[in-house]
Amino acid sequence: MMNPELATREVFWNIPHSLVWVMYLMFVASMAVAAYGIYRRVQIWRRGLSAKRFDRPLERLKLLLKHSAAQQRTVREKYAAIFHTFIYTGFIVLALATTVVAIEYDLGLPVMQGRFYLYFQSFIVDVFGVLVLIGVGIALYRRAIVKPRKLVYTDEATLILTAIFLMALTGFLVEGWRIGATDEVWGKWSPFGYLLAQASAAMLSRNAMRAAHFGAWWTHAVLVFGFIAWSPFTKMAHVVFAPLNIYTASLRPTGAALKNLDIEKAMESGAPLGVKSLAQFTWKDLADFDACTECGRCTGVCPAHTVGKELSPRDIILDLQKFMHANPRAAFGLPNGNSSNGNSANGGDQAASRKPQAASEALPIIGALAATSPAALWQCTTCGACMEACPVFIEQMPKIVDMRRFLVMEEADFPDTMADAVTSMETRGHPFKGTQSTRVDWTEGLQVQTMAEAKDAEVLFWVGCGGALIERNQKTVRATAQLLHKAGVKFAILGREEKCTGDPARRIGNEFLFEMLAKENTEKLNHYGVKKIITSCPHCFNTFRNEYPQYGGEYEVFHHSEYLAKLVDEGRLAPLEKNDKKITFHDPCYLGRHNGVFDAPRQLVQIAARNAPIEMAQSRENGFCCGGGGGMSFIDEPKDQRVNQERARQILATGADIVAVGCPFCTTMLEDGINARKGDRDVRVMDVAELLWQAVQDSTTNGANKN
Amino acid sequence: MPVNIIVCVKQILDPEIPSRDFRVDAEQREAVRGAANLVTNIFCENALETALQLKEKSGGKITVISYGADSTEDALRKALAMKADAAIHILNDGQAHPDPLSVAQVLAAAIRKLGEFDVVMLGRESGDWGVGQTAGLLAEELGVAAVAFVDKVEIGADGLQLKRQTDVGYERVAATMPLVISITNDEHNVPRIPKTRDVMMSFRQPLTKWTLEDLGVNAAEVRAGNHYYAVVDLFIPVQELNCEFVDGDTLEARVEKFAQRIIEVTGSM
Ligand code: SF4
Ligand code: SF4
Repeated sequence: MMNPELATREVFWNIPHSLVWVMYLMFVASMAVAAYGIYRRVQIWRRGLSAKRFDRPLERLKLLLKHSAAQQRTVREKYAAIFHTFIYTGFIVLALATTVVAIEYDLGLPVMQGRFYLYFQSFIVDVFGVLVLIGVGIALYRRAIVKPRKLVYTDEATLILTAIFLMALTGFLVEGWRIGATDEVWGKWSPFGYLLAQASAAMLSRNAMRAAHFGAWWTHAVLVFGFIAWSPFTKMAHVVFAPLNIYTASLRPTGAALKNLDIEKAMESGAPLGVKSLAQFTWKDLADFDACTECGRCTGVCPAHTVGKELSPRDIILDLQKFMHANPRAAFGLPNGNSSNGNSANGGDQAASRKPQAASEALPIIGALAATSPAALWQCTTCGACMEACPVFIEQMPKIVDMRRFLVMEEADFPDTMADAVTSMETRGHPFKGTQSTRVDWTEGLQVQTMAEAKDAEVLFWVGCGGALIERNQKTVRATAQLLHKAGVKFAILGREEKCTGDPARRIGNEFLFEMLAKENTEKLNHYGVKKIITSCPHCFNTFRNEYPQYGGEYEVFHHSEYLAKLVDEGRLAPLEKNDKKITFHDPCYLGRHNGVFDAPRQLVQIAARNAPIEMAQSRENGFCCGGGGGMSFIDEPKDQRVNQERARQILATGADIVAVGCPFCTTMLEDGINARKGDRDVRVMDVAELLWQAVQDSTTNGANKN
Repeated sequence: MPVNIIVCVKQILDPEIPSRDFRVDAEQREAVRGAANLVTNIFCENALETALQLKEKSGGKITVISYGADSTEDALRKALAMKADAAIHILNDGQAHPDPLSVAQVLAAAIRKLGEFDVVMLGRESGDWGVGQTAGLLAEELGVAAVAFVDKVEIGADGLQLKRQTDVGYERVAATMPLVISITNDEHNVPRIPKTRDVMMSFRQPLTKWTLEDLGVNAAEVRAGNHYYAVVDLFIPVQELNCEFVDGDTLEARVEKFAQRIIEVTGSM
């Protein structure tokens, strides 16, 4: 047996020295083309507006490790978990192996030696090569046979997979024929290459194998370098742009994803309010377009798309990407100078020196592309499922709202019923035109004080328009107030002084109205010296938590589920009698996904119920919207395309008798959906506060009976 | 042919407030504002929308006039945001119950002060008092013709083509200018939502302010008000719900009795 410490192989075996330079030339050329491909894209991004995305490097690195290295989001999907991991890890191992060769040959450092050569360079590389082949096989199978609806079926995608397959295959041929032709003693350390060598030996002479090796080697080289050069011009660019996009992702909760808009400044400069063309996007938005891997997860989880509407976040990103590259200058209102990079040396200054007029001459995007039709933009519930699903942290939803801003503020072009809600917010401070309830009707018979009356309120109960003005939800806010009373919490409400937080206005796109409401509300709250707020509505919760601080409104904010759970923990509320119905919990988007509050409401269900809550397949981060966010509860959806009915279907499928919720919009949307679908089953929608109040009441009555 | 249009608007209490929030002061014989907001009367907005559409086709100018308290400025700013060209606020500095005749006199004086006009458009009535006389009285004051309940205005051969609603359908009227028309609502004149940019711009636009003295009307007389018009009583009607079953052995008997009760209860026939 030979000494494994001496194991190695000859680099460029069978390749005449006189030809090695050809390979280097190809290498340099492919790198140059690839670099140009990347540079060209980055150059375009620089035409975008500024965005601060390089702060807090440590947090960004962590994100990078979790989502670029460990790919936590990619592996949420079963197919991708396998094939993408195989291909991605295979690429990394093979790239490392190439680096080892370079260190050995080009730097002359003997690293490809001994046990390392056997374990890594031979065995591991061999195995990972096979994994790449398997991965590509699975991916091709998925595209050709499974055909999920969310994928985009392009020739480019097929070609990429084919190219990877051929690269890996020729790699094996090179390895196998080398082993066969040289009868390499360490050949068995490359098991698959060795098998190939054995199989070939049965048919080919050594010399034939040698010749075949020569051919395969060059084919492999051409494929690899061609692929490197071509990649940045295809979706393979994600190899570079995905990590970059993840590093520069937003570090705030998705509930804080909407951009601030300096309306005054836009008025002065004449720049459009909202996004009319690519010129109003930030560089990060533009980078988002290029980072898209076309995986389709966003569209796959989009509630609007799921019920058959035309909205498709993936296509918004991809259409804008194509548009940006088809019109790299006109899309930004830049004169169509020579399109080679003659003046790209000062590309950065272009954005800075660009006149606002030029920006307004930039090609408009809304309605110009199939995916950005106004109809589609008015279907988004701003649920954020797309953002949560995207493996490369693209922010689809804020771009939709950006475009809505333009439609609303510059064109006043939006659905009538939404316009009614906006007008009502303007004139009445709430979106429910024609409501027959007042802000204080629900307090009838309860001793609820207003901030103006209360002297010692420790916390403000922000009831919200949906809680106070929709009759059904008055039961919820009543239950909450009664629970607070019972626990001895000193709270007060604003009563008639309360006004909409502006969430629907903001998500519909009327940033101007939102700003007015935000200023008015924060002023009032600060006037009363409010420190702590309990909100009944997750939308108010999100606004207080993520959007009011910039208007000088810094409060400690609790959703009622959180506050009530805390009171139970502290023993201030003691539910005894348990509801013995089967209960499932529906996550409100603005409580759960957008703000990460998943456990408090579940805890309340658990406390109030005899049985553990049934989890739906689409819950927590993957919760499915009720259909009411983003101003969509003010729109009459087509009968056969209602998001609430789809969610009702999912809820009914659990067999639950009660669906617990924590949002006034979810309550009414789901009640409508369930009533339309439940047939003669008895299924109810109850807020967690109602459930808890029921449990608490029963305990006292039972206690009384026992005495 | 450019048309010089004047639109008169009125600011009223938000008619959409919950009915249980609505209170009247029987003594003063007026509605209590309470927490309600002030809005532009919807028919006045229909009139402005009609004017805007006319101007889009014909060219010309729209001047909006309102006689009202300080808060009326909001209604005028909104009209500017909707793209009226100019706005004039005639300050009502204390007339408690502006009656249709004195309002018409004030508006007519303002319109005369403006000079030329082709057409004046008003809402058919206001959503608060619903008297619906101002348009007719204004035409009388100005000495021009009036057409009421118009829901469509188009440029005709030598004047305007008007479509007006009647009890039995509609009429088409060919009208020569100048004239006054009162506008009713229709699916075509749903008031537009102003663009946010225009809302913001409206705050930077000039707004002409006139007092009664500026108009040369007899201010004292106007402030005294109540020309041929008096609110005698103001109350919220009490709604009573009574449920009563009629019986009878046959269907015919029950129907007969049912009809009988209707006659008795409503006191008709
Ligand atoms: S936010 Fe929700 S509704 Fe809007 S595009 Fe994303 S997934 Fe679809
Ligand atoms: S935007 Fe994100 S989730 Fe959607 S297709 Fe592109 S990479 Fe996939």
